Amino acid sequence: MKGILFALLGGALITLQGVANSRISQDIGTWQAAALTQFTGFVTALLILLVIRDGKWQGFGRVKPLYWIGGAFAAVIIYGNVTAIHHMGVTFTIAAVLIAQLCLTYWIDVSGWFGVTKQTIRMPQLVGIGMMIAGVVILTF
Amino acid sequence: MVFGLLLSVIAGSLVGLQNIFNSKVSEHAGSWATTALVLGTGFAASLLLGLAFEGKEMFVLHNMQLWYWFSGVIGVGVVISLVNGIRLLGPTLGVSLVLSSQLGFALLWDSLGWLGLERVPFTPTKLIGVLVIAGGIVLFKWSGARVYAKATETV
Repeated sequence: MKGILFALLGGALITLQGVANSRISQDIGTWQAAALTQFTGFVTALLILLVIRDGKWQGFGRVKPLYWIGGAFAAVIIYGNVTAIHHMGVTFTIAAVLIAQLCLTYWIDVSGWFGVTKQTIRMPQLVGIGMMIAGVVILTF
Repeated sequence: MVFGLLLSVIAGSLVGLQNIFNSKVSEHAGSWATTALVLGTGFAASLLLGLAFEGKEMFVLHNMQLWYWFSGVIGVGVVISLVNGIRLLGPTLGVSLVLSSQLGFALLWDSLGWLGLERVPFTPTKLIGVLVIAGGIVLFKWSGARVYAKATETV
């Protein structure tokens, strides 16, 4: 039960993030909103890190430097998300973002790139992707 | 519409890629150090791109409201919720539920038009669309789970 609440809350907060960024960008601009929200988030995470002191950050050295820069994509992600929400609303934007995200992850899984465990293409998964796209088409009616 | 769709597809692809990169970092450095790194590099990239496109305008913050300073805390709430949700439910059910919840709340926000966003009126067709997408997500995640013993992904 607790797990379900956490998962539902997590989804709600991800959507809230997009909505809040869209609202803030109307006043201060999109790049400004992206920089501000990540700066304050960074400071908060840093404070939590200082409090819990699990010492795990030393593990950074064991990760390929390429993977350190994943966070930098967020500049373009937030810009795209905010601009899309202004153009076509929250539901359509979130749906399109999710489908692109799942399709790319699936493609990487099937190709076995970035050292992920290689997956075979399975029919039910293709049906799942087909349903997601059909759902987006329904949203446009 | 086409422009918005294109931006969403680019954003979504980058989210997928970012999740893979972040989970590699998280395996060794733990979720809080990873969160700090991800938000720090995201801030640096946004600042640089903002300066490149807007120059000094980047530092002009019009109509700054007090709560804007705290919006970054939502991201910390996201990390706590996802880490615990996925730990308690496992990656398949956890991720399916997070994604479906994202869609459900998106529909709610559009319908209510909160936070000064343009209100997009609710219709039963929209609910059907969201349910079909959520069904697709669950089917996709479940049928992939059987070959997916290792938690190589977060969301």
